Amino acid sequence: MLGYNLRLALLSLRRNPYLTLLLVAGIALGIGVSTTFVTAMYTFAGHPIPHKEGTLLYVEIDTWDPQRPFDDDHPERPPNQMTWMDVMALKKSDIPLHSAGMYKALLTVHPASKEMRPYRADTRMTHGDFFDMFDVPFAHGSGWGASADEGPEPVVVLSDETNQKLFGGENSVGRTVRLEERDFTVVGVMAPWRPIPKYYDPHNGATDEAEKLYIPIRWAEPMEIVSSGNTSGWKQFEGSGFSAFLGSESVWLQMWVEVKNEQDTERYKAYLDAYATEQKKLGRFQRPINNRLLSVSQWLKEEEVVPEEARAMLIIGLLFLLVCSVNLIGILLSKFMARAPEVSVRRALGASRLRVFLQHLTECEIIGVIGGLAGIGLTFLGVRLVENLFSANFSFKVDLKMMAVAVALSLTSALIAGLYPAWRICRIQPAAHLKVQ
Amino acid sequence: MLSMKNVSKIYRTEHIETHALSEFTLEVATGSFVAVMGPSGSGKTTFLNLAGLLDTFEKGTYHLDGVDVSRLSDSEMSRIRNTKIGFIFQTFNLIPDLNVFDNVDVPLRYRGVSAAGRRTAIEEVLELVGLASRAKHHPSQLSGGQQQRVAIARAMAGAPRLILADEPTGNLDSAMANEIMDLLEKVNETGTTIVMVTHDPELANRAERQLHVLDGRLIDMRADEPRPLMPRPSLSSTPNSPGMPGGSIRPATT
Repeated sequence: MLGYNLRLALLSLRRNPYLTLLLVAGIALGIGVSTTFVTAMYTFAGHPIPHKEGTLLYVEIDTWDPQRPFDDDHPERPPNQMTWMDVMALKKSDIPLHSAGMYKALLTVHPASKEMRPYRADTRMTHGDFFDMFDVPFAHGSGWGASADEGPEPVVVLSDETNQKLFGGENSVGRTVRLEERDFTVVGVMAPWRPIPKYYDPHNGATDEAEKLYIPIRWAEPMEIVSSGNTSGWKQFEGSGFSAFLGSESVWLQMWVEVKNEQDTERYKAYLDAYATEQKKLGRFQRPINNRLLSVSQWLKEEEVVPEEARAMLIIGLLFLLVCSVNLIGILLSKFMARAPEVSVRRALGASRLRVFLQHLTECEIIGVIGGLAGIGLTFLGVRLVENLFSANFSFKVDLKMMAVAVALSLTSALIAGLYPAWRICRIQPAAHLKVQ
Repeated sequence: MLSMKNVSKIYRTEHIETHALSEFTLEVATGSFVAVMGPSGSGKTTFLNLAGLLDTFEKGTYHLDGVDVSRLSDSEMSRIRNTKIGFIFQTFNLIPDLNVFDNVDVPLRYRGVSAAGRRTAIEEVLELVGLASRAKHHPSQLSGGQQQRVAIARAMAGAPRLILADEPTGNLDSAMANEIMDLLEKVNETGTTIVMVTHDPELANRAERQLHVLDGRLIDMRADEPRPLMPRPSLSSTPNSPGMPGGSIRPATT
């Protein structure tokens, strides 16, 4: 019977192509708008590394001003970054599987080729565990080990883009790159990598690309590499110069740890508390102990990575789709009721109300499928507009999942729009229409 | 075949009650050909709608082919309409988007007949009504008489026990009307019960029994006095099917 219903539906849609076009356009527009915003929301809110939820943890300790909290709106929260001293101290713990402190900097690259001018590149200063923690894919070589962290050794990992730029995409492991006034040896070349959002450091640009260069964090000291990200402080430096800054209470680094299981999380939390207690005894930490380990999803939620505009537009998009569906109810109702004489004949010939109902719902669903496909086309246009709206320097992906969402939304909208008209037409009294065709 | 006892049908609006049928009692024997006459508004069509399970009634009982249909669900009534009743309307009521073949196919689709079974049944009834060569034509490409033949083919396709015809010749000239009556008589000879509403006394006289309806009541019924039948055209030109005299109709198989 489904095949027969499909055939009747197509006949009906062909009977009045302009009306069909209007119905399809109504659905397509609603789907285009709503799926565009669903795509934006999905891109922002998607979990970037779901298999490490609960084991990959962002570290926070309360080193802030005893007179006031770090965030007046959320006084329960400790600072969302850490001091140099604390990162270097906590790195010594062997409880986590991996741990890395990090910050963002800008370094000058001096290409070997005389044809290229020196340029400034976003650089992540970090520990060697960074690459394993965040599942960074490598095209050549790998990250560096603990000895390179300690040295520090002059090693560098290049992004795929930088390797293309400096070495034409060749395997550059073992080659040298001059950063500022020092030569660094390439130990690894990353495969293309674009975590969205950039969850390991969202408050320095959640939609930014990953950095182009990665070097051991301890080069900060000898090379006096300042942060190009956010720095917050509450206490006057003691002394002057870069080493005074490193010894200050300014917070400007992020710290992540990866643990094996919940027991290790508890152990590491106890370790943090013990560390804070010790610092309090030393007279450094003056606020109540407030250390936190946040999972990736907790961290992204707290950092409000999903823009409020995206949430608002998602709601507007879905409401728009609802309005489109409600408009379709009127059109479908008049279309179906005009067919009362034919339906009466079908009823007389043995069609039950249920069959008439399903026949008309099938027609609605065909409109939904066509509208959904057209809506996917509009979504591709819509996301380009939204990218500009959010000033995102990356592309929203309309992937298979989003296309499935579009079709599902479309089928649901068509179903919602068709339920009442289909119910009305299946309830007509056939006797009233058979005599006067 | 059809047994109504004290059936009443009232149409209600906010201020008016119209008694379309009052205490309507009727027995129609299996295989008979009954003509129902009466002035406009007398209740003929209401009776036909009730008989065809297209409308409900307030009082009385109605047995169709031995089944009490008074309290059946919509799907049960639809099934009975589909399997036991064929309808022929004054305005033919063919579906304009469907060709002749597909129009005749409609009741068989709802019965769930296999594709091969449908094809055989449709080809046979179209052959019977003389429209086998017009199977791919749409209703708009046919004359009124041809359209009514298609409607008769559609009514017969599922080999129903009862055909209800509401002024089947009302939109046709007299020559066409006679052709249609010939065809209905041919169908009746296969054992199918026919109840036909008509305004035309001449056509009514060709039925074996006439009923008169006035103000929703059956007032003149000569059921016990069978009348001599009008001479009928010979069916010898139509090839017979085994067990089905007068035509090549055979019940569709599911």
